[in-house]
Amino acid sequence: MTPKLKKSLLYWLLLSPLCVVILLPFGIMFVTALRPRDELFVYPPTWTFSEFRWENFVEMWVKTNFGGALLNSLYVSLTSTVIAIALSIPAAYALSRYRFSGKGLYRNFLLMTQMMSPIVLVLGLFRLMVHLNLVNSLNSLVVTYVAFNMAFTIWMLQSYFNTIPRELEEASWIDGATGFTSLVKIFLPLAIPAMVVTAIFTFINSWNEFVLALTLIRSQNDYTLPVQIFSQVAGRYQVEWHHVMAATVLATVPVAIVFSWLQRYLIRGMALGAVK
Amino acid sequence: MKSRTRIPTTPLLMILPSFLLAMSIIGYPILDLAWTSMQEVSRFGKMMGFVGLANFAEVFRDPLFYSSLVRTVIWTVAVVGGTLIISLPIAIMLNDDFYGRGLARVIVMLPWAISLTMTAVLWRWSLNGRAGLINATLMDFHIISEPIEWLATAPLAFTVEILVGILVSIPFTTTIFLGGLSSLPQDSYEAAVVDGAKPWDLFRYITLPLMKPFINIAIVLNVIYVFNSLPIIWVMTEGGPANGTDILVTYLYKLAFRFGQLGKASAISLIMFSVLFVFTIAYVLMVMRQEHDNTAEEVKHDA
Repeated sequence: MTPKLKKSLLYWLLLSPLCVVILLPFGIMFVTALRPRDELFVYPPTWTFSEFRWENFVEMWVKTNFGGALLNSLYVSLTSTVIAIALSIPAAYALSRYRFSGKGLYRNFLLMTQMMSPIVLVLGLFRLMVHLNLVNSLNSLVVTYVAFNMAFTIWMLQSYFNTIPRELEEASWIDGATGFTSLVKIFLPLAIPAMVVTAIFTFINSWNEFVLALTLIRSQNDYTLPVQIFSQVAGRYQVEWHHVMAATVLATVPVAIVFSWLQRYLIRGMALGAVK
Repeated sequence: MKSRTRIPTTPLLMILPSFLLAMSIIGYPILDLAWTSMQEVSRFGKMMGFVGLANFAEVFRDPLFYSSLVRTVIWTVAVVGGTLIISLPIAIMLNDDFYGRGLARVIVMLPWAISLTMTAVLWRWSLNGRAGLINATLMDFHIISEPIEWLATAPLAFTVEILVGILVSIPFTTTIFLGGLSSLPQDSYEAAVVDGAKPWDLFRYITLPLMKPFINIAIVLNVIYVFNSLPIIWVMTEGGPANGTDILVTYLYKLAFRFGQLGKASAISLIMFSVLFVFTIAYVLMVMRQEHDNTAEEVKHDA
């Protein structure tokens, strides 16, 4: 046996308990989503069931207003991602390319906003949204998500911007381009991969947010997916677990796939910027 | 003295929009909380007048505040401690080349992609006493002989919630450690191996000291995140049974949005805010010191 093979076996053996604990609930999610309703509460509980009941997904879609919640989540996540990126690009560019007084101060300010968790401010935020007449409006979520994500997006963008050579812009200035044209024509196209990665992570953050959505949205029609799924579980005498699990499958699997593909970029981005 | 010939307006204008938004969405609520915490507030959010520190006094007389506080400390220390102990060896393995490393990385990072809410919903169902498949699996392997009601008693439910908390904190922490490990100088390892050092010595005398700044950052960030984490406990037990799994955030949320005790809830928010503020300052200082070290190192390399 080669040393690498030996090492691989040892590592997988050590990692296996964690892998089991991570993957087990996913298995449970799938077998629950697909089993007939009357086989949910059999005793003793078993993994096996009589047939794959794909109709669960269709029933769930109608009964839990999944489509509506999906649209709300899409609206909130897309809008807040676009605004967060639009506000972060100039800020990240300024931090990456200019020397100015207050730069260090601003970076620390961003760090602090990153540390301030929504839950500690939730009551103040709720009262703010009441004043602005935004309670029950999805836009209340959009502005708060932008604000709470901005530190991260500016940070990530800045760390990538730092890796784009300054000379490229300088060359275009010599060729007579103004600062703005060189920014739009030379710099931003080079930064597209960074913007896409940052945008997707912002999207996932907004997609998954729970506390603010639970607090600021009171009418069922405006629920985002996490709140909608939570409302199927909380305070109910009878929970339709096969529907809940079907909804969880649809709400998490696409995000998990995108994330698996992207996580190495996140590791690189954090190694470049956030941690160093 | 600094020259004041030219104030660079362009970069300041560029950071202005993000600054204004952060000030209004994050800065303003803090001031509002400070104001509310010193008011008597009716159940319907109407301000009934200034009461000074009466709300704080009420918080400090409340036994539920203390039990939630104690549980918050247990929750934070256990989750952060457990996460660190598990994440460091995982990061070391994932940083090393082995067959299937890509797959292992995806699996370990997976809990990060799933929202805490969904994770908690998933575990709440998996741990169901009667029909939960965790019980089914444990019974299949003859580890237990009859189903356990995992979430029905507070101590057991709280323990389970701590374990789920550790599970969801591992990906982020491992990522920080991976970032740190990738920056360690390989030549010190080679030199040490030439000198006959064993793997444990390498870990004890090279990896651990060099990883210290990353471990510190992971501790501070995790303390902040875990201290503030509502979804796991809220979704799995809502702080129950009988407030037995309440931590400060769940207690705060109940006071504010279930019992309508806004003054008291604001006071707790402010107390938590002060704790967070101290940790944030610690973090900022730590990052600044590290940046300072990095700059020093770059200068050294350039020379």
